[in-house]
Amino acid sequence: MAADVPRTIAELPTSAPRFVGRPVARVEDPMLLTGRAEFIDNLSLPRMLHCAILRSPHAHARVVAVDTAAAERLPGVVAVVTGEDAKRWTQPTPTVPPGWGAHCLASDKVRFVGEPVAAVAAVSRYVAEDALELIGVDYEPLPPVVDAAKALEPASPLVFDERGSNVMLQRVFTWGEVDAAFAAADHVFTERFRWHRLGANPLETFGVISQWDPVDGSLTCHGSFQSQFHMGLARAAVLGLPSHKVRMVSQPHGGSFGGKGGARGTDITALLSRKSGGRPVKWIEDRMEYLAGGASQAWDRHYEVSLAVRRDGTVTGLRVKLLDDLGATAEGWGAVSAAKPLAAFTGCYAIPAAQYDLTIVATNKLPGSPYRGMGPPPHNFVLEQMMDIAARELGLDPAEMRRRNYIPKDRFPYTIASGNEYDSGDYEAALETVLTMGDYTKLRAEQAEARKRGRWLGIGLVNTIEPGVFDWNAYAIVGQPGTGVPEGATVAIDLFGKIVVKVGFALEGQGQYTVVSQVLADYFGVDLGDVRVVPQDSLSAPPHFGPGGSRLGVAITGAVLGAADRLRQKLVAVAARLLQTTPDAVELMDGKLRIRGVPGAEMPLAQVSAVMLARSDLLPPDVDPNPEATYVWTAPGRTTADDQGRAKSYLTAANACHLVLVEVDVETGKVEILRYWIADDCGTRLNPATVEGMIQGGVAQGVGAALLEEYVYDDDGQLLTSTFMDYLLPSVYEVPMTEKKALCTPSPFTPLGAKGVGESAMHTTPAAIMCAINDALVPLGVRATAVPASPHRLWKLVQGARKA
Amino acid sequence: MKPPRFDYADPRTLGEAVALLQQHEGEAKLLSGGQSLVPLLNMRLARPAILVDLAKVAGLDHVREDGATLAIGAMTRQRSVELSPVVKARHPMLHAATLHIAHPQNRNQGTVGGSLAHADPAAELPALALVLGAEMRAVGPGGERTIGAAEFFVTYLTTALEPSEILIEARFPTLPPRTGWSVTEVARRHGDFALAGVMATVTLDDRGRCATARLVLFGVGATPVRAPRAEQMLAGERPEAALFERAGRTAAEEIDEPLSDVHASAEYRRDLARVLGRRALAEAAARAA
Amino acid sequence: MPASRHITVTVNEQPYEAVVEPRTTLVDFLRGELGLTGTHVGCEHGVCGACTILWNGRAVRSCIMLAVQADGGTIMTVEGLGREGALHPIQQAFLEEHGLQCGFCTPGFLMSIYELLERSPDPSDEEIRDTLGGQICRCTGYQAIVAAVRSAAAKLRTGAGGYG
Repeated sequence: MAADVPRTIAELPTSAPRFVGRPVARVEDPMLLTGRAEFIDNLSLPRMLHCAILRSPHAHARVVAVDTAAAERLPGVVAVVTGEDAKRWTQPTPTVPPGWGAHCLASDKVRFVGEPVAAVAAVSRYVAEDALELIGVDYEPLPPVVDAAKALEPASPLVFDERGSNVMLQRVFTWGEVDAAFAAADHVFTERFRWHRLGANPLETFGVISQWDPVDGSLTCHGSFQSQFHMGLARAAVLGLPSHKVRMVSQPHGGSFGGKGGARGTDITALLSRKSGGRPVKWIEDRMEYLAGGASQAWDRHYEVSLAVRRDGTVTGLRVKLLDDLGATAEGWGAVSAAKPLAAFTGCYAIPAAQYDLTIVATNKLPGSPYRGMGPPPHNFVLEQMMDIAARELGLDPAEMRRRNYIPKDRFPYTIASGNEYDSGDYEAALETVLTMGDYTKLRAEQAEARKRGRWLGIGLVNTIEPGVFDWNAYAIVGQPGTGVPEGATVAIDLFGKIVVKVGFALEGQGQYTVVSQVLADYFGVDLGDVRVVPQDSLSAPPHFGPGGSRLGVAITGAVLGAADRLRQKLVAVAARLLQTTPDAVELMDGKLRIRGVPGAEMPLAQVSAVMLARSDLLPPDVDPNPEATYVWTAPGRTTADDQGRAKSYLTAANACHLVLVEVDVETGKVEILRYWIADDCGTRLNPATVEGMIQGGVAQGVGAALLEEYVYDDDGQLLTSTFMDYLLPSVYEVPMTEKKALCTPSPFTPLGAKGVGESAMHTTPAAIMCAINDALVPLGVRATAVPASPHRLWKLVQGARKA
Repeated sequence: MKPPRFDYADPRTLGEAVALLQQHEGEAKLLSGGQSLVPLLNMRLARPAILVDLAKVAGLDHVREDGATLAIGAMTRQRSVELSPVVKARHPMLHAATLHIAHPQNRNQGTVGGSLAHADPAAELPALALVLGAEMRAVGPGGERTIGAAEFFVTYLTTALEPSEILIEARFPTLPPRTGWSVTEVARRHGDFALAGVMATVTLDDRGRCATARLVLFGVGATPVRAPRAEQMLAGERPEAALFERAGRTAAEEIDEPLSDVHASAEYRRDLARVLGRRALAEAAARAA
Repeated sequence: MPASRHITVTVNEQPYEAVVEPRTTLVDFLRGELGLTGTHVGCEHGVCGACTILWNGRAVRSCIMLAVQADGGTIMTVEGLGREGALHPIQQAFLEEHGLQCGFCTPGFLMSIYELLERSPDPSDEEIRDTLGGQICRCTGYQAIVAAVRSAAAKLRTGAGGYG
């Protein structure tokens, strides 16, 4: 049955929306506020055991022998597994690019500090950790390769001997007449940049309870899974199980930001459960394990970027050379971060020609994982910094430089050089908004005044595209197959007119249960509290992915509206019969099925659903007597990537313009953020309060990226930032309160015109702060090209300038 | 991150506590606020056979004015010091120092004695003790003794306390009249350990010149570092920017081997000491006027 | 084999007795032994504040306290904040101001804020920041939390937004 998904709020069958578009309080919150959410570590199963994992202290070594006898004898220990068990019972994990995976427990060699080598299931985590100390491992250390450039050298140690090289991927993508553009340019600006490792760090680390059923050979896992279905598919592949024998149950989880991988932990606990005769085995990743061995690190990058510019400031070409250090394996799905930039490669600008020279290399460090933004945050930083460099050289104000290059607002949908299509946008309006909010002219005057008095103020003005609603084809260039990411929902109305919605994802923090409730409450004319969202496990839910790539707000809205429409069609057919007319004369409006244009000829929803469920005698013969419908939404109009990676990938192109004022203490290198303004356009805001929350959260992580967060490895591949004493998350002191204004260019392609907003300001804030710092340092003739701009780095930069 | 096994004792008297330390000869650790110790236990970096908890020993929790000296019991929570009206009114430098110690949630548990005995070179209380010339009272098998701050901090995480000695009180002198102070540090985030910090006092004479100055650098070496050459530069001089600049430079040179770690190189720390030395002396002198 | 200890502790006005190993942390005791899983574990080294509870009225990190240290004391956790089905004004303020997203850090924030407002019913911006500075949130970027604290303070001062 076809379904009609409303394109705008006005198309909803309500005369006055009460919930959609309003900042309603979240339905999830009372449970979370009272500490009643069932995060994975709050769940206990009968006879459950606790797992601890022994991890490699070496970055690169052969595993000669593992002696678990003493550990097995410790009272309270029930099962121990090693790499031998992994080799016997599992496959190496599938990866993108393919062929760069390892077993969940290292057997022949270890490839990074923190790699699991053995694991114990015991009566408590305390005892399990005692047992780890009794396991003896004989290592034969090998020289590690820790530097990306060194990893490319012919004589480099190999992370995977059988691959013959550390290069996971090496390709050049060319879009448009790049060579010609650079040859003909009046100016070519080139700069190198270094972006250091950082990562998600949700407050809750990963956790899982795996339970093996020895009788029917099936596996059930409860866990903090971001995407339970794909987790399940991969587990089936790795553990050699038929797909229908793996059931994943996603628990509400404490944030993810891409960093809730957990594949190894799930497989290891599955093995332990198997070895202990089917007892559930719980593993809660502790923070040190997360930092060193979890889905915690991303974007270890070396950039060389060139901009071809005409003397009037028009940018005619962009070249980005990226050496991406993915770490020891591709298991974390981190390679897709190198592909996503294609979705918005040239940003807000109408740059016709671009080139991406991409090398992804393996080193003996933690495998990289996704992190909010999935690759564009560093890419946007280098692009926006190049725009500022060009502007300064040409004597143009950074605002004017951007203005001259924007894609005009009447050219949408607009296909960019790298192939994606932007749905809508008005970048000029966003720029003007933020310049007005911050009184830009006055700001520049303030800056000039301050410089005279020896204060180094800097102004950052950047704009970016924040792509939303990802598709598999966005990652085709790194070997990700497929097109179309499904999100399904089942909507049912019960005997009393209450609505139950079944979905395939659990709470993660973005407020999707609330959005679903808002949309359906308005659609069916009920109260917010009359809608209940019930998450289903991976086998019970309709096809789904869950949150990720700023998709879920749009996707689940599409899914529930599609299901609602299918359900409406059924209700209309029944109501028509009961009202003694034809279906085309009946409409749903304000919670009633009524004959169009005939006042009084109506019946409430609950009455119709009650008839369907309890009065089969009154039903038309062709109607399914079930007031329930399912719909699976995928983004419309997706294409397959061509050989240059061009595809219609991310469906929506939200955009933002950030203006930030910073002060740099050039004697100490400390940066203070003084003011921060944001003009954000993410189309229709289904819940403006949760959207602002996404933006501000993105700002916080952006501040962390620009100033604080960095994983540091020494030359032996040892992680020096192994606790929260050294990996620094921003607190209320470090995150500016921002002033925000909303713009709205609705998406012509999405349900209700909303655009993806989950990743939001993370795309933009690092660029804004770095550009502001560099604006402050202009008089010194230095440029901060390494992120984060730690006090030490800035101090060294300034020292270098003063000595010169 | 679960601790290894250990035994636990919560003695009621100092005598019992000392006896336990003696009995377990180096295998015992004292537990006060636990803000430094318990993380080490969780990481299994500390592996004592027994933890001796001082929480139930009476007489260790007080903030008392004793003439011109402020006596603080070793088990006094840092937060109690911070919120004490006596401290706020008459010992503003101590008050300011406590505001830099981590966060209120740590200060609610962490103790003054614990911080002093732990002797982290980047901590505020050891630096304050050194700049004010505080005295530490300790009790051990041989009885009671008093250790001056200059002798108390020996090296990285090491004090002059014997293995069976317990710090019971720290005594801070009050600042003399016409004395200004400064607590200045650079940290990555508010509440973090200082990359480098300076505690300074400047006492002016009745002509408005610097009579004496005391300057301590922290976070830069294995212990808080006194900078006597820099201090002497101020004696008799008029308080002015160029003087503080020279003193800061000198102070920086008085650090033997600045620490180097992921957040700051030795060179950077030394330069921070120079800059903060200048700023702290300027602030202290301004406060004295 | 180190001896276990018998402890008594009052949690959310309810007395409990238990026998614990000295090495059991307070947060593991609350969550595991007493089943009060509203307090969460984020780092186990006293930095993130997810585990913050009130001990004898003071907000402390329960991940770096041992259960045996709590013997004889009084503890309040997030479970003690609301009344049967009704939100405490601080919780109500968080709800209205959207002061949470994933909710994992929230119980720790609530307890720190509870202590702040008990001691300082009309807190200055500096006092608010000082309290919040010891709690890490990865989701909200703090702006809505600051608004929630101000709103909660107002509710408690006027007696509005009480239980029920």
